Amino acid sequence: MDAFLLIPIVLPMFFGALLLFFSFREKNTAPGGRRERARLCLYVSAVLGISVALALAAAWSGDRELVLFTLFEGVPVYFHVDALGRLFVTVVSLIWVLSALFAFVYMKHEGKEKRYYGFYLILYGVLVALDFSGNLVTMYLFYELTTLVSMPLVLHNGTREAVMAALKYLFYSMCGAYGGLFSVFFLYRYSDSLNFAPGGTLNQAAAQGHEGILLIAVFAALVGFGAKAGMVPLHAWLPTAHPVAPSPASAVLSGVIVKSGVLAVVRVVFYVAGTDFLQGTWVQYVWMTLALLTVFMGSMLAYREQIFKKRLAYSTVSQVSYIMFGLSLLTPDAFTGALLHVVVHAVVKCGLFLTAGVFVYRFGYTRAEELGGIGKKMPKTMWCYLLLSLTLVGIPPTGGFVSKWYLAEGALQSGTGVFSWLGPVVLLVSALLTAGYLLPIAMKGFFPGSEHLQGLEEPHGIEEPGEGAQAHSSRKALGPELSPAMLVPLVVLAALAVWLGVFPGPVSEYAARIATAVF
Amino acid sequence: MREVLMLIVVLLPMFTGILTPMLSFRSRKAMCIYLETAVCVNSLLVFWLLFHAPDKTLTVFRFTHDLSITLGLDGMGAVYGGLVAFLWPLALLYGFEYMEGEEKEKSFFLFYVATYGVTLGVALSENILTMYFFFEMLSLVTLPLVMYTRTREAVLASRTYLYYMLGGAAFAFIGMIFVLVYGTTSSFVPGGVLDLVNVHEKKDTLLAVYVLCFCGFSVKTALWPFSSWLPKAGVAPTPVTALLHGVAVVNTGAFAVMRVTYFSFGTKLLRGTWAQYLVMGLAVFTIVYGCSRAVKETHFKRRLAWSTVGNLSYILFGVTLMTPMGMAGALTHLVCHSFMKSCSFLCAGAVIHKTGKNYIYQLDGLGRKMPKVFACFGVSALALTGVPGLCGFVSKWYLAEGAVDSGEPLALAGTAALMISALLTAVYMLSILVRVFFPKKGFDPAEIEEVREPGWRMLVPLGVLAVCILCLGLYSEPLVRMLKEIADF
Repeated sequence: MDAFLLIPIVLPMFFGALLLFFSFREKNTAPGGRRERARLCLYVSAVLGISVALALAAAWSGDRELVLFTLFEGVPVYFHVDALGRLFVTVVSLIWVLSALFAFVYMKHEGKEKRYYGFYLILYGVLVALDFSGNLVTMYLFYELTTLVSMPLVLHNGTREAVMAALKYLFYSMCGAYGGLFSVFFLYRYSDSLNFAPGGTLNQAAAQGHEGILLIAVFAALVGFGAKAGMVPLHAWLPTAHPVAPSPASAVLSGVIVKSGVLAVVRVVFYVAGTDFLQGTWVQYVWMTLALLTVFMGSMLAYREQIFKKRLAYSTVSQVSYIMFGLSLLTPDAFTGALLHVVVHAVVKCGLFLTAGVFVYRFGYTRAEELGGIGKKMPKTMWCYLLLSLTLVGIPPTGGFVSKWYLAEGALQSGTGVFSWLGPVVLLVSALLTAGYLLPIAMKGFFPGSEHLQGLEEPHGIEEPGEGAQAHSSRKALGPELSPAMLVPLVVLAALAVWLGVFPGPVSEYAARIATAVF
Repeated sequence: MREVLMLIVVLLPMFTGILTPMLSFRSRKAMCIYLETAVCVNSLLVFWLLFHAPDKTLTVFRFTHDLSITLGLDGMGAVYGGLVAFLWPLALLYGFEYMEGEEKEKSFFLFYVATYGVTLGVALSENILTMYFFFEMLSLVTLPLVMYTRTREAVLASRTYLYYMLGGAAFAFIGMIFVLVYGTTSSFVPGGVLDLVNVHEKKDTLLAVYVLCFCGFSVKTALWPFSSWLPKAGVAPTPVTALLHGVAVVNTGAFAVMRVTYFSFGTKLLRGTWAQYLVMGLAVFTIVYGCSRAVKETHFKRRLAWSTVGNLSYILFGVTLMTPMGMAGALTHLVCHSFMKSCSFLCAGAVIHKTGKNYIYQLDGLGRKMPKVFACFGVSALALTGVPGLCGFVSKWYLAEGAVDSGEPLALAGTAALMISALLTAVYMLSILVRVFFPKKGFDPAEIEEVREPGWRMLVPLGVLAVCILCLGLYSEPLVRMLKEIADF
C-alpha cells in the first residue's frame, strides 16, 4: 500500500470536477473579466503545478505500487510505477504544463474556459493513472476514461462539425477499446496474471493448443488500441477530430493522447503476451504492414492537405505509426527507437500545433497558403516552427534523427525478410514527404516573394467561431509581439526537440534499458 | 410458519391491489401511503424470507398426485425475488409522481401492485406447473397496464402483446408437458429431472421440444424473432415500461428459461447438441440485432426498449453456454441489467413527464436544466456501455469469462458479439449524453427555460439506482460469489 501514488491521480480529478461543477452552475456563459480570468489561471496553475510535482515525485522515487481494491477475484485495481510508466508520465506532465501555459492566453477567444480547464485537469489525472496502471483491467478502465474525458475537448467550440467530430472520435475509440477488451478476456484466461511484467505473463502450458484464438485476440488488441494511435484501419477519426479542437487541446491530443494507444499496445504485447509468442507469426507481419501503410498514407495525405491543422493531424497519423512500426519489429533497437520517437513526436507535434494556434489566434489563418511572409511578422514563432519541422523530418542533429536511426537500424537487424529493407525505405520516403509538407511553410514564411507582402499589412478579419467582439479587439490591441505565455512553450519545445538530438544519451539509454528488460 | 409466509408475500400485493379501487381514501396522499406501506412491508417480508429460507415447500393446491401449485425458495428464486422486492417500492414511489393527475389512477395501481405478487410467484415457484401458472398470469395482469392510455396505439400494442404472450406460453406448454411425462418429478431439481437412460432414443424429439420451450419462454425476453412486442409496449406509462418491460416481465422470461434449461431438461442432455447451438445462435444474433435497432431508433423509450432486447439476450447467451460460469454470468447480468435499465427508463420517464419530449433529437441541452436526472442517466448509460467501475462491466466480464472458458467456437463468436453490441450501446447511449450536455451551436436555451427537475419521489429512486450501479460495479465480489455458488451444482 502506497497511497502517495493516488494523490496525483485524484487531486487534479477532484479540482477539475470542481471547476466543471462551477461552470455548470454558471448561467452566464459570456467570457468573464480580466480579474476573473486571472483567478482562473491561478487556480489551474496551482492545481496543475502541484499535481505535476507530485506525479513526478511519485514516478521517480522507486517502484511504488498500490492495490486499491479488488474489482474481480484476482483482478484488483492496481497501480505500479515501472520504467515505462515513468517515461510516459514525464512526457505527459511536460506537455501538459506547456500546453496549459499556452492555453491561458489562447483560450480567451474560445470562451467556456472553465469547462475547458475542468476537463483538462481531470484528463491529466486520468493519464497519470493510465501510465501508473499495473494491470490490464486497470489500464482498460483509464483508457476508457481517457476517451470519455478528452471528448469534450474536441467538441469545445460547439459547432455542428466539432460535435460530429467528437462523436466520431468517441465511437472509433470505443470500438478500439472493445477490441482491446476482447483480447483482455483471452489473455486473462491464458496467462498467469494480468499484472504487467516485462517479457509477458503468458502461461505456455495453458495456452498450448489455443494459439490460434490467442493470436486473433492479440491482433484485436493491436487494431483496437491502435485506433487511438491512428493506425489503419481505425485511423479516420484522427484527421477529423484533432483539427477542430482548440489548438492547445489539439496539441495535447496529438502529442500525448494518441500515445495512450501506443502505451496500451506496448503493455499488451511486451508486458502480457510477450514477444516470443508473437515473433514470426502472421500477427507480426500484418501489424508491420498496417504500420507501414499508415506511415506512407498519412504522409501522402498530409502532403496534399491545405488546411494547416489538418495537415498536422495527418502528420500525426503517419508519425505515430513510425512508433507502431518500431514496436512491430520486435527487436530491442527498434523498441528503443519507438520509445524515443514517442518522446520526440510528443514534443514536436505539441509544438507544431501550438504554432498553428498562434496563427489562428493572431491572424485567423487556417490554411497553409495564407502563411506566406509570416516569418517577417513573427520571426520567433517561425524559428521555432522551423526547428520543430526539421526535427520531425529527422535532420541531424535533432531528436527525430536519433529516433529514426534506431528505428531503421532495428528494422535492418530484425530478420523479418522483406520488411527489414522495405521498412527503412518507407520511413525514408515518408521523411521526404514530411519535409515536403512542413518545410515549404517555413520557406514561404521567411521568403514570401513579392505577392504576399501586401496582404500582411492588416490582420485579416477572422471568422473563427466562438469568439466575441471583445476578443477581436483585444487581439488588435496586442500588437505584433507574442505574449510570453505563448512564446515560452514554443521556445521550450523547440529547444527540447533539438536538445534530444544533440544529447540523446540519457533518454536513449533509458529507453534501451526498458528494451533489454522486455526482450 | 415460514412456508406460509411465501404464500403471504405472493398474495399480499394482490389483495392490496384489488382493495385499492374499493377503499375510499380521503386524499390521493392517503392512497399513496397505503400502497407504499403495503409494498414496503411486503418487500421487508421477502427480505426476511431470504435470510430465513424455509426448508420445506408449501403445496397450496393439488390437482393430482404430482401436479400441484407449490411454492419453494431456492438460491435462484431468492436472487430474483430479492431483486424484485428491492425495485418495486422504488418504482412505485416514482409512479406516484408520474401518474399524478391521471384519470383511472386507481385501476393503474391495482394492476401495478398486483403484478408484484405475480412476479414473486414466479420467483417462488417450486415446480414447472406453478411457474407456468404465474407466467401466464403475469401476461394477463400486465395487459391492462399496456392498454392504460386507451389510445388507438395502445390498444394495438396491447393486442400484439397479448398474441405474443399467449403464443409463447403455448410453446412453453408443450415443453412443460414433455417434462411432466418424461421427467421423474415435476419439481425443479438442479441438473434436470429427465431420466437420461430412459429417454435416450427420444433424444432428438426432446431436443426439439426444448427448442420450442426455450423459444416459448423467450418470447417474454423478446428474443428475435419475437422481439417486436417490446418496443410497441412502450406506449404504456413509464413506470410500467421501466419496471415491467425493463425488468419484471423480461426477466421472468429469462428466469423461466434458466429454470427449464438447468432445472428441468438439464444441461447433461443439452450440452453439445444442435439444440444448444441453435438457441445460442439465436441469442447471439439477437444481441447484435437488438442493439442495431436501438441505434436506428429515435424515440427515446423505444430506443431503450430495443436496448433491453439486446441486453436480455446477453442473459440468454449466458444461459445457453450451459456451464456453471455461463449461468453465473447470466444471473449477474440479470441483476445488473435490472438496475441499469430501470434507472435509464425512469430517467427517460422523468424527462417525458417534465418536458413532454419523446424523441431524442428534442433533448438538446436539457442536461443543464435537469442535471440530477441526466447525471443518473449518464451513470446508467455508461454502465450499459460497460465502462469499468460500473456494474455493466462486471456482468459483461463474467459472461465473457464463461464464454471464453467454454471454448466453443460459437461462444467465442458470442464474445465478439458482446463487444460489437457494447460499441453499438456506446453509440446509442452516449450520443444522447453528448446531446443533452453539449448542445450544438445555435441552440436556444430560452426554449427550455421552463423545464424543472422532477420532485423527490422521482429523484430518490433514480439516485438509489445510480448509487447501486456504482456500488455494484466497484464491489461486486460478495454478490458474484453468491451467484457462483447458486450456479455451481
